Amino acid sequence: MRRQTTLRAAVSSVLAASIAVTAVSPAFAQRNDGQRTVGQRPDISTDEGGLWAQSDKAETEARTKAELNRDPDLTPYVRGVACKVAAEYCGDIRVYVMDRPYFNASMAPNGYMEVWSGLMLRARSESELAFVLGHEVSHFAHGHTLATWRTMKSRSNVGMVLMLAGGGIVGSLLYLGVMSTVFAFSREQEMEADRLAFERTVKAGYDPAAAAALWRALREETAASDFPKTRTSDTRGSIFNTHPITPDRIAALDGLAAGRTAPSEGERTRYRAQIRKFLPAWLADDMRRRDYGQTLHLIDRLAADGEDLGVLEFYKGEAYRRRRLDGDQDKALAAYTAASGHADAPVAVWRELGDMLSKVGKTAEARTAWETYLAKAADAEDRWLVEANLKKLNEGSES
Amino acid sequence: MIARKLRVAVALAALVSLSACAGLKAVPAGPYASGGNQITVGRTWTDMGRLFDASKGVRLLSIDGPQLNRLFVIDGLKPGEFIMRPASKEKPTPTWKAGLSPTEQVEFLADTLAVMQYYRVETGGLRPVKVGDRSGVRFDITAQTVDGLDVSGIAQLVEAGDRLYVLLYLAPTEHYFSATKAEVEGIMASARVGA
Repeated sequence: MRRQTTLRAAVSSVLAASIAVTAVSPAFAQRNDGQRTVGQRPDISTDEGGLWAQSDKAETEARTKAELNRDPDLTPYVRGVACKVAAEYCGDIRVYVMDRPYFNASMAPNGYMEVWSGLMLRARSESELAFVLGHEVSHFAHGHTLATWRTMKSRSNVGMVLMLAGGGIVGSLLYLGVMSTVFAFSREQEMEADRLAFERTVKAGYDPAAAAALWRALREETAASDFPKTRTSDTRGSIFNTHPITPDRIAALDGLAAGRTAPSEGERTRYRAQIRKFLPAWLADDMRRRDYGQTLHLIDRLAADGEDLGVLEFYKGEAYRRRRLDGDQDKALAAYTAASGHADAPVAVWRELGDMLSKVGKTAEARTAWETYLAKAADAEDRWLVEANLKKLNEGSES
Repeated sequence: MIARKLRVAVALAALVSLSACAGLKAVPAGPYASGGNQITVGRTWTDMGRLFDASKGVRLLSIDGPQLNRLFVIDGLKPGEFIMRPASKEKPTPTWKAGLSPTEQVEFLADTLAVMQYYRVETGGLRPVKVGDRSGVRFDITAQTVDGLDVSGIAQLVEAGDRLYVLLYLAPTEHYFSATKAEVEGIMASARVGA
C-alpha cells in the first residue's frame, strides 16, 4: 500500500510538471446542465488541454500493447454497448478492450476508454456491463477527472518538478500510475456517477436491478478471497484508488431500481454468447492472480445460469488443483468429473482426471481417463507423457 | 517532501528502463554455473546479474543485451521457493513444489513468465530430455512483451532431489531467436545439475 502511495505521489508530481506549464482555464466547455459539450476539444494552452495531450499519448501506446484484444467482433460489441449508454457522447468515445484479469474500466478526459477482460468476465449480463460503462461516461460527461486533477494539483508544489519534465522522465512513467492519480474519485463523485449511470442505462432499456447486483457481487468476491487482508479490505469498482463500493452506494442503487420493471428474459444468455469464446483464456488469466477463492466465487457466479458447465467445471478443478489446501484434491476431482459429463468440456479434462485419479490410487478409472484423453486428443503434444503414465500404470498392475 | 518525490520519480523511471542490476561480468567460452546449475557456453556471454525482484539464484546472461537475448540460469529451487519474488502476501508468485508433473512444471514456468511481464504466453513442443543421468523436459515458448513485441524461447526444467533446475532462453522472434537457437540448444544439452 505504501508502495502504491509513493508511486501515486511520484507520478502526480511528474504529471503536474508536464501540465503546469499550461494556464489554468475555466472549467471544460459546459452545457447548461453542467455536462461537457459534445465533440469539444480543449485548447492545448489550458490545463485541460495538457491532460488531453497525456491521454492522447497513452491512447497511442495502448494500440500496440500486447494486452489489447484484437478480436474483430468484441471491441465493436463493447463499443455498441458504450454508445447506447453514452448516447450523445457516442462520437467522443473510443473503446479498447484489454485482456487484463482485473475488474476495471476507465475513461480518459479525451474519450479514450479502456474496458478490461476482468470486468467483462464478471458482468453477468449486458446490463451490468452497460452500467459500468455508463458510470465511466458519467465521470467523463461531468468532468470528474479534470476536477480531481485540479484539486490534486492545487495541493502540490509543482515548481521544482518542472525541471524533471524537461528531463523527459514523464514519457517513461507508466500510464496506469498516472491514471491512478487522476482517477481517485471522491465519494460524492462516485455516488453521482452511480446515479447518472443508472439513469443512462435505464433510459437505454437495460435492467434497473443490474447495477446493484454487480456491485453486490464484487463485494462478495472480495469476501471470498484466500487472503485475510483482502477479505477485510474495501471493494473498488476499478483498479484505481477511488471511493470504495460501500453498502450505502448499493442501497442507493436498490432504491433507484425499486418498482421498475426488468427487460425481457434471455439477456444473460445473449451476453454469454458474446463472451463465450473468451471464457477459457480469461479464466486462465484470472487464475494467474493466484487468489483462487475469488476465482472460485467468480466461476460459481458464471455457472449459476447453467451454461458452459464443461468449461467452468474444468477451471473450477484447475483452481482447486493449483490451490492445494486441505480437501482441494477431492474438490478438484469432483469438478473434473463433473466437467467430463458436459459436451463443452476441454479435452484436457481427461488428462487432469487421469492424473488426479492416479494420485488417489484409483488406477482403473485413471487408465480409462487417460485412454479417453488419447482417443480425444490424437495429436496432443504431450501424448508421449500420457502414454508413459499408462505404461507405468500397466506395469504396476502386472507386478 | 517534494525532493523525496523527485528521488522516487527518478528511481521509478530508472527501474522502468533498466531490466537488470549493475555488475556486468564477461563469461568466457567454457563452463559457467549458477549454484548447482552448470552449463558450458561456446563463446563469450555477459553475466548481467539478476533481474529486479528475481530470486538470488537467478542469473541472467546475454550476448547482445537483455532486450535482445536473455538466458536465465537458475540454481535449484527448493520446495516453496520462487523465481520471482512476490510484491506482497496478497500477490503471490508461483512457487516450486516437489513432485509436480511435467505438465505442472510447464505451468509453473509459464505463470512465472506472466509475473515477468510477458503476455500471451504459450508453450508447446514438450519433449523429454536427459541431463546427465537425470530426466527433464524441454519446451518451446512464444509470448509478447508489454509493448507487443513477439518473443520466442526455449526452457529446460530438470528435477533433481527435490529441487528444480531451470534454463530459460528468450529473444525477439524476428532474427534474434533463430540466430541463437542452435547455440542455446547446445548450451542446454551441456547442462549438468546437482550440488
